[in-house]
Amino acid sequence: MTILWFLFKEGFKGLIRSKYSGAFSIIIIAISIMLVGFGYVIARDTLFMVENIRAQFDVDIFIKQTASRDDIAAFDAKLKKMNEINHLIYISPEEAAQKFKNEFGEDIFDILDYNPLPPSFTISFKPIYRNLISVEAIANILQSDPVVDELKYRKNFLIILEKYHRIILFTVLGIFAVLTLISIILTSNSIKMTIFARQDIISTMKLIGATNRFIKIPFVIEGTLEGGLGSLVAALIIYGMFYLQNTYFQSFFDYTAIVSYRFYIALLILGTFLGWIGSRRAIRKFLH
Amino acid sequence: MISFINANCTFRKNAGVKNLNFSIDDGEFVFLTGPSGAGKSTILRLIYMDLFPEKGKVLIRDFDSTRIRDREIPFLRRKVGMIFQDYQLLKDRNVYQNIALALYASHYKTREIKSRVYSILNQVGLGHRVHHRPMELSGGEQQRVAIARALVKEPIVLLADEPTGNLDPRVSIELINLLNKINKKGTAVIVATHNYSLIQRVPGARLIQINEGEIISIT
Repeated sequence: MTILWFLFKEGFKGLIRSKYSGAFSIIIIAISIMLVGFGYVIARDTLFMVENIRAQFDVDIFIKQTASRDDIAAFDAKLKKMNEINHLIYISPEEAAQKFKNEFGEDIFDILDYNPLPPSFTISFKPIYRNLISVEAIANILQSDPVVDELKYRKNFLIILEKYHRIILFTVLGIFAVLTLISIILTSNSIKMTIFARQDIISTMKLIGATNRFIKIPFVIEGTLEGGLGSLVAALIIYGMFYLQNTYFQSFFDYTAIVSYRFYIALLILGTFLGWIGSRRAIRKFLH
Repeated sequence: MISFINANCTFRKNAGVKNLNFSIDDGEFVFLTGPSGAGKSTILRLIYMDLFPEKGKVLIRDFDSTRIRDREIPFLRRKVGMIFQDYQLLKDRNVYQNIALALYASHYKTREIKSRVYSILNQVGLGHRVHHRPMELSGGEQQRVAIARALVKEPIVLLADEPTGNLDPRVSIELINLLNKINKKGTAVIVATHNYSLIQRVPGARLIQINEGEIISIT
């Protein structure tokens, strides 16, 4: 117990003894964790935005004017059974006429004396089917139904979206990975510098017969504390910045930062883990 | 207790020791003398196994330089006390903490650490300096703290590498007298020095003269 208590105390005291190098290390870790935190939120919201655009994609199915009510009801039932469809709306000729009036400001009956607008369905797909291959396959099946007159969807929109979705996905994930890597390197190096500044302790401890474990434990505790404190600072800064954004700049940037408490806990765990692993790696270099 | 058997060790260009053969018994006082770069420090480093001979071997009690594992070296160093010209004290800790560290490293209990530290500090005449930091002490006092740290774990041998190098003649004599006193209590002492005037202060001490890594004479 004496030894364990001594090593823990040494770890805590080490943080105080290291003064500037310890404080510098905490700042560097805080910056690194902020990079990862902001990187994550940017990546998440960008992908969410792209997914939202994809969710707006829909297909209009125009029904033949000759189709009876029973035919339409049967087709409606068929659509509802399709697993790929997320949402569907039936638009009757009357509703279509009303929509026309709302959009163009003129009554279709005043122009043509009759309603030429056919009944139609607007369908949207479940997320995994919002791609060109799936949509084309489903469109072909629906097109072959005898009640269907015409199918309309923005094929080019889908092609462009797919192309850019892939670019955005890889770019965002790439940036996130690079930021994480930078934070690991920064954290590890800043802890290494803290230990480097106190090499005399390591050489003295070796001379007096301390085992590698005895030398290592206080430095690992110190590094873990630095990681924990650095990530706590980062979490507080991020929280403060998001609070300011959501309170004062929300309308200016048209953006609301929404993160749960789990995000902050994850940052604390990440920082503490990086401190732990970074100090273990750094001390190993000085021991051998 | 300590045996060098055909030990050769070179760790830099032309520096090191060649074909060393000698033994040191329990409780002996030995001076290693010779000019700078003769190999005195190398011999000490071979004893506390900071260096290993490329040929031959060094035996310290049951520890054999050819067989010892990395993880066993700390256990050897707990039996070997060391002091240096630059004291090697930790500046961010006080006298008590510097000495206690050696005992914590050897897994002593807090109560025993306390009694041993105060006892050794009284022996070296620094009982009143317990809470001072190294920078608040004179060179002679710092060296005595280093001696206390080396002795507190009751080593079988105390190695001193140019212990008086940074001290004035009066303090140097005081220090060598202290080492002599320690030796009289049974701890072997090996002092590497090129200060010949100190040798005369310890009548009966063995003298090993070295030059260019070779033993010139043992008297």
